[in-house]
Amino acid sequence: MNASCIGVRVGALGAVMAGFILAASPAHADRVEKHFPVQKKPKITVRNSSGRIQVKAWTKSEVLVAWTNKSGKTAVETEQAGNRVEVATQANEDGISAEDSKTDFEITVPVESELSVRTDSGNVTVDSVHGDMTFDTVGANLQLSDVDGYMVVKTIDGSLVCTRCSGKLESNSISGNVQMISPTLDSVRVQTSSGNILFDGSFLSRGIYIMKNFSGTIEVHFSSSDSFDVNATSLKGDVINQASFKPDTHGSPHPASKWGHSLFGTLNEGHAKVELSSFSGTIKILKRD
Amino acid sequence: MQCEQFEQLLEQQDDGALPEPALAHLEECHACRALSADFGAIHDLALELGAEGIAPAERVWVTLRNRLEAEGLIHGAQEPPRSAGHASDGWWAVFQRPAIAGSFLGLVLAAAAMVSYWSNFPQTAVHSQLAFQQSTSAVPSADNVFKEEILTVGSDSIPGLQRQDTAVTASLRRNLQIVDNFIAICEKSVREQPDNQMAREYLYGAYQQKAELLATAMNRSMTGGLQ
Repeated sequence: MNASCIGVRVGALGAVMAGFILAASPAHADRVEKHFPVQKKPKITVRNSSGRIQVKAWTKSEVLVAWTNKSGKTAVETEQAGNRVEVATQANEDGISAEDSKTDFEITVPVESELSVRTDSGNVTVDSVHGDMTFDTVGANLQLSDVDGYMVVKTIDGSLVCTRCSGKLESNSISGNVQMISPTLDSVRVQTSSGNILFDGSFLSRGIYIMKNFSGTIEVHFSSSDSFDVNATSLKGDVINQASFKPDTHGSPHPASKWGHSLFGTLNEGHAKVELSSFSGTIKILKRD
Repeated sequence: MQCEQFEQLLEQQDDGALPEPALAHLEECHACRALSADFGAIHDLALELGAEGIAPAERVWVTLRNRLEAEGLIHGAQEPPRSAGHASDGWWAVFQRPAIAGSFLGLVLAAAAMVSYWSNFPQTAVHSQLAFQQSTSAVPSADNVFKEEILTVGSDSIPGLQRQDTAVTASLRRNLQIVDNFIAICEKSVREQPDNQMAREYLYGAYQQKAELLATAMNRSMTGGLQ
């Protein structure tokens, strides 16, 4: 048997083996990628029922959407019209289970991009994107890191962790927790019913920070150089304070409420405005180390 | 013009006349004509609500109820439930049509807004709150209607709460229970402390939250959670 014949046999064997391997792996589990060339500041809309959604930024003028659907029972439809890119999952048949509809996305977008994400379950992470963003989830948890823009978040019981977020944040949840870690936000409006709220960062001058829940804990951490007015009231819970506030000299005097526990005061010049409100939860105003 | 474009136009339209392409589409599309009529009805009801002050006239509710009954979307209150499991099918059916569901949610929010409005008038509010469960007035107040027709919607009557996705269904149910509990606690507080403005504001907020939760459940059901 000559060398070329052996080569042909080995090649044929390799091809058969490759065929076996391909047949053994479900074709529908393959990762699919689509590229969308865009101009500056595209708007990307994602609609998914279940699965992980990861969004990160790059410097290319292109949106890359990659997805995996293990069951093959869900199709992904994409559409581009100029700077608008839409991605949506669609069940191929009625009544498929959550597991079968699960589709994981990895999306890479230009740094300056607008995002709109709607999903029911599965985590959503967004990293280093600058632009306005809206998120609408039921149980999906949301992690935003190094993002900048006007962020609007609505969840039912999904939690939000916002790390080094800049800009403005509006968040509304029923039982989800909200954490703002090292934020540089100048406008915060956060409301959750039974969830906890944590604000661990600086209150920017002229910033307005409104945090409200029904039960659960509201905890804000301040440093002695921070400058803000505070109005904290818990109707049936406690207000725990480590700051040395002086009486608020900016607005009209605050009469002591005959209901619940209230705290009004000013730290330094009172440049920012902080309003904390709870029905039965505890409010903690704690000094950062 | 396609139906989807027409719907978007209709949602964005104020009081002005529809543009020519939309009118042309309206002439040839039965579904969009029906949708447009629904929007018109909602608009008229909203105007009536605004004109009636605190408590909307009974005819507002009667008009709405008659309209829904005429469309076969709800059944009269006197009609016995067909079975325990389908006692709320009428309401469920209502929520199958976005325009009608929108109308109801609008009324829910209007009712909640009225409760909030009342909160500026403690004495009036005290009366209305205390009368919550024993009102004998011939004219149903907004909060009574709200309480009877919306807040008592059982979880079985929301299509979004019967989805295949058990985790999402469980989440919606669990949170509906949370909000219902908050409403009960707030109502108790308002009854015990009628001039407690903050408790009243929380009650209003809980009403809103329930309306929004129901809207989310319905919306997820209509779109299969995917679109």
